[in-house]
Amino acid sequence: MTSTALFPQPPASWRRYFGFSTDAKVIGIQYIVVSFFFFLVAGLLAMIIRGELLTPAADLVDRTVYNGLYTMHGTIMLFLFIFPVLNGLNNLLIPTMIGAPDMAFPRLNTAAFWMVPVFGLLLIASFFVPSGPASAGWWSYPPVSLQNPLGHLISGEFLWVLAVALSGVSSILGAVNFVTTILRMRAPGMGFFRMPVFCWTALAAQSLQLIGLPALTGGAVMLLMDLTLGTSFYRPEGGGDPVLYQHFFWFYSHPAVYVIILPVFGIFSELFPVYSRKPLFGYVYVALASFIIVGLGLIVWVHHMFPSGVAQWMRNLFMVTTMLIAVPTGVKVFAWLGTMWRGKIKLTTPMLFCIGGLINFVFAGITGVMLATVPVDIHVSNTYFVVGHFHYVIYGAAVMGIFAAIYHWFPKFTGRMPYEGLGKLHFVLTFLGANLNFLPMHPLGLMGMPRRVSSYDPEFAFWNVLASLGAFLLGVSIIPFLLNMISSWVRGPRATHNPWNAIGLEWLLPSPPPEDNFGEHVPTVISPPYGYGKNEPLVEHQAEIERALTLAEATQ
Amino acid sequence: MTSTPIPPATPSAAHGAGHHASHNLTGFIIFLCSESVIFLAFFSGYAILRQAALNWLPPGVEGLEWRMPLINTIVLVSSSLTMVAAEHFKEKEQLWLFRGFWLLTMAMGAYFLYGQAVEWGGLKFGLTSGTFGATFYLLTGFHGLHVATGVLLMGLMLVKSFIPGNYNGGEEGLKATSLFWHFVDVIWIILFVLLYVWRT
Amino acid sequence: MSSSSPNRRLGGIPLIALGLWIGLVMAISIWMAGQAQHWLPVQASNAAPLVDGLFRFETGVGTFVFLGVVSVMAWTMLVHRAEKYDESDAEPIEGNTRLEVIWTVIPLVLVMAIAWYAIQVNTELGVLGPMEHIHPRNAQEELGGYPGDRLPPEQVEVIARQWSWEFRYPGRNVSSTELHLELDRPVTFRLVSEDVLHGFYIPAFRLKQDVIPGRAIDFTLTPTRLGRYRLRDSQFSGTWFAANQADVVVESAEDHASWLKQGAAAPLQSGLSPAVGEYAERQTAGRGGWPTVVPAPPPQVNVPGSSSLPHDA
Repeated sequence: MTSTALFPQPPASWRRYFGFSTDAKVIGIQYIVVSFFFFLVAGLLAMIIRGELLTPAADLVDRTVYNGLYTMHGTIMLFLFIFPVLNGLNNLLIPTMIGAPDMAFPRLNTAAFWMVPVFGLLLIASFFVPSGPASAGWWSYPPVSLQNPLGHLISGEFLWVLAVALSGVSSILGAVNFVTTILRMRAPGMGFFRMPVFCWTALAAQSLQLIGLPALTGGAVMLLMDLTLGTSFYRPEGGGDPVLYQHFFWFYSHPAVYVIILPVFGIFSELFPVYSRKPLFGYVYVALASFIIVGLGLIVWVHHMFPSGVAQWMRNLFMVTTMLIAVPTGVKVFAWLGTMWRGKIKLTTPMLFCIGGLINFVFAGITGVMLATVPVDIHVSNTYFVVGHFHYVIYGAAVMGIFAAIYHWFPKFTGRMPYEGLGKLHFVLTFLGANLNFLPMHPLGLMGMPRRVSSYDPEFAFWNVLASLGAFLLGVSIIPFLLNMISSWVRGPRATHNPWNAIGLEWLLPSPPPEDNFGEHVPTVISPPYGYGKNEPLVEHQAEIERALTLAEATQ
Repeated sequence: MTSTPIPPATPSAAHGAGHHASHNLTGFIIFLCSESVIFLAFFSGYAILRQAALNWLPPGVEGLEWRMPLINTIVLVSSSLTMVAAEHFKEKEQLWLFRGFWLLTMAMGAYFLYGQAVEWGGLKFGLTSGTFGATFYLLTGFHGLHVATGVLLMGLMLVKSFIPGNYNGGEEGLKATSLFWHFVDVIWIILFVLLYVWRT
Repeated sequence: MSSSSPNRRLGGIPLIALGLWIGLVMAISIWMAGQAQHWLPVQASNAAPLVDGLFRFETGVGTFVFLGVVSVMAWTMLVHRAEKYDESDAEPIEGNTRLEVIWTVIPLVLVMAIAWYAIQVNTELGVLGPMEHIHPRNAQEELGGYPGDRLPPEQVEVIARQWSWEFRYPGRNVSSTELHLELDRPVTFRLVSEDVLHGFYIPAFRLKQDVIPGRAIDFTLTPTRLGRYRLRDSQFSGTWFAANQADVVVESAEDHASWLKQGAAAPLQSGLSPAVGEYAERQTAGRGGWPTVVPAPPPQVNVPGSSSLPHDA
């Protein structure tokens, strides 16, 4: 893997990042680095896709290649980038934010992580089998996903299902760990309503994983049986029902999008207070809204199936439940605005990413409400309107939130400060690139351009060219990020324990923290979080702790 | 680090060992809840396919023989009771009685698996006999896998019961195994109703 | 727990400025709603005005919300920026219960209003007939030839394949790979697939229905504008999914009648299927690519039609 070249040694032994460490902070970095490797792979696939879509004809790559590319782009981005990178942040932040020495099950943690490169390799390997990679979209709907022209057992689709199943197991093991840790290992004095919102949203997101993933696994097992054993769960000729698969698939995959965005809501909730120097507005409501989203998130899945042939009453019902999710989400958005209002705004790199991410998220939320209404959805479903919508949420909001988190907590976990200039450049290129890439997709969808097409009618060319330019800009935007990460980790200025003057248990640890974080000396929490402007300590003996940290930094 | 006053050790330090022991059971319970969803998925798939089918039973098949499976059910449900008995004796520190009932539970679980295999061997339809065959073998097979896992876990716990000082840190392994066994039992009851009792 | 901010009443000028800003945002929102119509194709069915009206409304409301949120953010970034070397904290405002209630209730009312509007539209579309009846396909039907041949004259059977669209007019004995419809006359489609999932999508009509193998789905609409439109496969169906398109011609009653009459007299010939041509080319040119499902042979139809004439949407 390329990480050897990308991340040379910090003062402590760098070798632990390549081994089977059980320290959540090491595992967290492992998750993040591996996921960014796959981000680059899937991003490269996206560049080829957008290259093909520069012109109407299917003239860059063969159609079978294109179908494999877009399928793997989606699959890798979801299962090998976004879920692992969020698990990486969970590993870094959850124990340190709650004052725990590590996760509840450290060895299970290691096992869950190491499954990621394994199923990653399976997916990469699928490009090299004779039948080619899976090419039925990241949804893998039967019957088309069951079509196996060569009839080989080890087909790309077979490897795909295996990889997704392994990913599910890895995620479930991770979820058990995160939930147990948050429920059982909080510092003394840290009741639920003194817990940082990031932990609330992590708890919410991981609960969704636990409830939803097994449904996907079940559906995938049946798909695998149809593919390899000749059963007919989804084959109409054998009495099966292709739409049944869709229900299993979406029962998980809709909550999956909340698994992706909830941690980002957590990140925003952590960062807006720091860079506005003000408490999070309505902390309790923000925390509780996370669980309202969990509940509603489990009863909206049919909105992905409106044109599928589901009954009218079902469409109306799921339209209403989908619209309702806008309410707790709105509560959070307004809370962040309320946090900024009359604050002392500092436009640092993390804050810029949060602000840009929030703007993109509100836009995506609006197109989401449009998609929720059945009549409009019937017109735009399976068109580029949907592709634009979800890329705004995932890239425009979630990835930007993840970048914000990385810049914000980089000093804590590497002991070095990232370069501000490169960070701001990264932000500008990302914000411009994402909007240029994904905004044109909306008129394309409204005009009737279907998604997943390797060629299109000439009238769609104009917006496609703009979108492709935006994609190439996004490709370029990664360069300052990678440069920043590498050079800052190697030779960035040393970070103190609290460079942002933030309030939280993780900021009462050295940068980077020792292996067991607070160890035996877990401070007792005596105030709610985000106490900016209130001049009250977060924990008992805070002054002594700060003094000890400052002294240690001075003598380094 | 240096000679700065160290804040007093907090209660969590004293709880350390106890905390860790109980985490395992918490984690296992959470895992079981998640596991139940996959069974729920298979149950609903079965129900939906069965409801929508024009011809549910494959040609040549009249229905499922229910007497032997009923005996298997009685054996499996009773094994939950013997397990409760075993745990009762463990609590009373009567280790040999505990081991006896534990072994009995294992034997009943093994009998269930044997009975399942015999039933499968005598069936006139296969995995590819339409959705009827597919769902039948998927449901009973996946459940059987869990029974086998349960028996193995019980075997492991039985072996460990001979290690001196095994229960000094608590009995999470026993509790988890027994929880798993009861879970497998409840799943079977639902399965039995769905497969054998539900008449078209 | 939550400390409300001290009650600040806005003075005269700021209040007027705020009012003007809100007015401006409303004006822009209304304008955007109007613009939204331009982003949509021409309206060629009776469903289109209903769908477009809902979309325009959503665009207007969405623009208002978006501009409102962005205005607040821009204001804070301009006016509430920290001074250059100011490391101190701001006022510790933790919340405001009344605001929380307001910004929970108003969005709730708003989304429920949109949902109610959408249900009305949905119900009206439902009256137009899409997707209400789903009959599982009976294998016995195959014995009598194309099952669609026993449909009433107003019905058109649509057969989706990898990768072509065939349209059969059973009452008139005409088949085609170009869909001809009579202006202002309701038509019921019977959608069937011979292989995998497909999507029957005509953007100009604003209607879409997945075609599910093993089912025959009835789907009704009324074309309301003369012209030539595109039908595109909208549910990924394999290698030549993107090429699986056909033209839809909406014509006057007389033109339609004469098209049917000529079609009935025409001999059967290969219909349109770009996939077939591309596949042949691919085999001979030996270009790279992964193995693919072989395209179904082009349907034998009376009227192949054209796929290369300019279309309105």
